[in-house]
Formats: sequence, structure tokens, C-alpha cells
Amino acid sequence: MKKRYTLGLLAVLLAGLTLSQPSPFQQRVQQAIQNGGSKFAETMKQDPDQALCSQYRDKLPPELVGAFLERQRALIKYPADGKLMGDWKQGEALFTNPRKGNCYACHTGDPREAGAGRMGPGLVNYGQRGTSEAVIKYTYDKIYNAWATMPCSLMYRAGYHGILTPEETAHVTAFLLDPASPVNAKR
Amino acid sequence: MRNRSLWIGFLLALGLGLSIALTQPQEVDPYKEAERQRELFRQTAGILPGELYAAQGEELFTQKRGSKNASLEACDFGLGPGKLEGALTQLPRYFADTRRVEDLETRIVSCMVRLQGFKPEEIKRDEVKALTAYVASKSSEMPINVVPKTSQEIAMYNLGRELWYHRAGNRDMNCAICHDAYAGGKVRLSPVRSPRQGLSNEWPAYRFEADKLYTLQDRIAFCYESIGIAPPEFYSEPYIALSIYMLAEATKGKHKFTELPGFTR
Repeated sequence: MKKRYTLGLLAVLLAGLTLSQPSPFQQRVQQAIQNGGSKFAETMKQDPDQALCSQYRDKLPPELVGAFLERQRALIKYPADGKLMGDWKQGEALFTNPRKGNCYACHTGDPREAGAGRMGPGLVNYGQRGTSEAVIKYTYDKIYNAWATMPCSLMYRAGYHGILTPEETAHVTAFLLDPASPVNAKR
Repeated sequence: MRNRSLWIGFLLALGLGLSIALTQPQEVDPYKEAERQRELFRQTAGILPGELYAAQGEELFTQKRGSKNASLEACDFGLGPGKLEGALTQLPRYFADTRRVEDLETRIVSCMVRLQGFKPEEIKRDEVKALTAYVASKSSEMPINVVPKTSQEIAMYNLGRELWYHRAGNRDMNCAICHDAYAGGKVRLSPVRSPRQGLSNEWPAYRFEADKLYTLQDRIAFCYESIGIAPPEFYSEPYIALSIYMLAEATKGKHKFTELPGFTR
């Protein structure tokens, strides 16, 4: 009886070990990354959800979506004062700064800004959604962690990676929603 | 009567549409702009910067150099020693002498080490770039023909595809996000192509905005930099893997190289 129990335990352990071992192909990928040098290898390290997105080529199977979104939602942090809408002027600078938000690489915000990218949806008149609590929170959450609403989205997780602080996220939220922002100017 | 007011309405709408169109900021077509810049070089200098790099590369290629006092004329790029015509079209490929898959740039380095006796640390990046421009100029406007056949080439292609989808860095990026999902779109003013659409068919190229020659490795490094990932060291496997992946896909798309060295923004 005891022997059978030990054997069973061993089998479970063995199965766990094989499952947690990367496949020979994954080991070879890691070897190639190491071959690129230590700095490259360091920045190519993935968190578990980046690895999941890569594995599924950015199209998660439906059964993994729920848990994925939940994990990402748990990563969102809010400003200490609880205000999700900050100063749109500071938000504008963060929106266009390539080292910060870099949002206009993909989105048109202020239509007067020449050379905005077109990978993401245009955001001109984004503020016509109004400024209800729900709209503000949705916008804030999307900017802070885009993967909390869309798994493996092209849009990077600005807040999660610390590129935007919660306060800065609130400023960008205001740039999109404040009726006084050039995004929403009467034209 | 009714017809006439319809007409006036139509004309008004047309006028409004035109005035909106005319007040939009003018966006320069990047391809036309490159063509214009190229012509300016032709007219004022009489030679393109890429041709200068290639000429410099030719000199380095034929000179006897290194501890073995040899030229690179015996270097085999896959078509036989010294055969340069169309050599780039079939690179990267597997080489039995070094027992690995090499792209043009790593092959040049291998030949500098094996034929000329340079130590790897002595090899200057600028010389490799000029040599790359020279050898590539012999494949100008030729069809790309990279078809992974040996097990090593197929493995390298698979590695490249895996790196292509590898999301990492604080911008959560990979290559596919822009170059597949949004191929045909624009990041700022830069049009984005997929490998099947012939991405990688213009390198090495002179980039007039940077006023520098970029090889394919330089261009891949630039991509990594712009998505917040430290570029791999030159001549390392990630470059070879991504190059064979992209060029094999361009081959499936039946693409040709542009004029080489290319001329682009």
C-alpha cells in the first residue's frame, strides 16, 4: 500500500518535471537568444503572459481568455487621490513624447499633429463618449494596461511597465476625454 | 427646379470637400521622396552614396590584406570561390566549411578570418559594411531565391519564425504585430510591409535620413532598438535566423531585390 503510494507520488513528480521542462525547440530558441549577447538576452526575457501571446501568435484560444484578462486586470494601479482624469495639457506632452506614451506613433489624437501613425484607431473626438465614471475608468484602464481588455493587443501596457505612472495615465486619460483638449476641439 | 437645387447642393458639397482636402496637412509619400532625393544625388554628385560604399568594398575585396596577405577573391558565398554574380540571392545558407548557416555579413567575416587571417576582434564593422555593399551590388534587381533545404537551414528558418513572434520588452512588441497584422499600415510616416510583401528586399541600402549605409543586420538592430529591446551583437544567430525567415518568405512572395545597394529613407 505504502509502496504504491510512493510510486504514484513519483509518477506525479516526474510528470510535473517533464511538463515544466522547456521543449528541445524552446531550449534551442533560448540558446539563439543567448547567442545575441547578454543585453539582448536580458531584454528578450518574457513574463508568462508575453510568452503565452508568443506561443499562440497573439491569438489566444477562447478557453484561456477569461483567466488572462483577470490576471491583467489585477495589475492595474490607480492614483493615490483616486482621480482618474488629470491635466490634459500634461497628457498631450506624454501622448506625443516617443520616450513616454509614444501614442501618436499609432493613433491620431490632435488632428493637427502631422505624421501620426495609423496602426491604432483614430482618436479624434474620442471625448464624444462623455465623461461618465464608466467611460473614464475604461479609458484609464485601457491606457494603463491594454491587455486587461484585449489579450495580446498590439497596444503595449504603459502602466504595467512603468512607462506611465498612475498619475501620468490620468493625464493621458484627460487628453482624450477633457472637452477642452484639442482632441475634442470643435472643428 | 428640383434638379437645379440638387445641383447646387452637390456643388456646395464638392467645394466643402475640396476645401477640407486642401487644408489637411500635406503628407509626403515616402517612396516618392526617396526617388526625389536619389535624383538630387545623381544630379549634384553624379554618383549615389551606395555606389561609393560598394566601390570602397571592391577595393577591400581585391586588396591583399590580413596576416595571410590574401584577398577575398577566393571567398565562396555558396556559388563557388569568387562567384559573386547573384550570390546574395541565395543567402543565408548552410556552409560545410564553417558548419553553420551564414548570411552575407557573417560569411564575409568568416572569409576574413579563414582566408585573410584576421582575428574576429580585429575586424572593423565599417569594412564589413562596405564589403557587404560590394557583394550585394552583384545581385541588384535579381529575384530572391532563399529556399531552406538542409536540416540546418530549416532549423534556422524555424528559429527566425519563433523570434519573429517573440513578444518582449517594456513595449510588449514583436515583429509580427506591425509587419504581419498591420502590413500596409504606417508607423508615423513609415509604411510597413510583411516579409511576404518583400520586406528586406532593399538591404543593404543608403538611408538618406540617417546619411548612413544600413545592412540588413543594421536594419534589424534599428527595429529592435525602436521597440525597446537591446539589439543582438552583430553576426549573432538572431540576425541570421530572422534574415533567413524574412528572405524565404519574400521568395514565396516571388520578390526581387531592388537596386542594390538600395536607396531609402
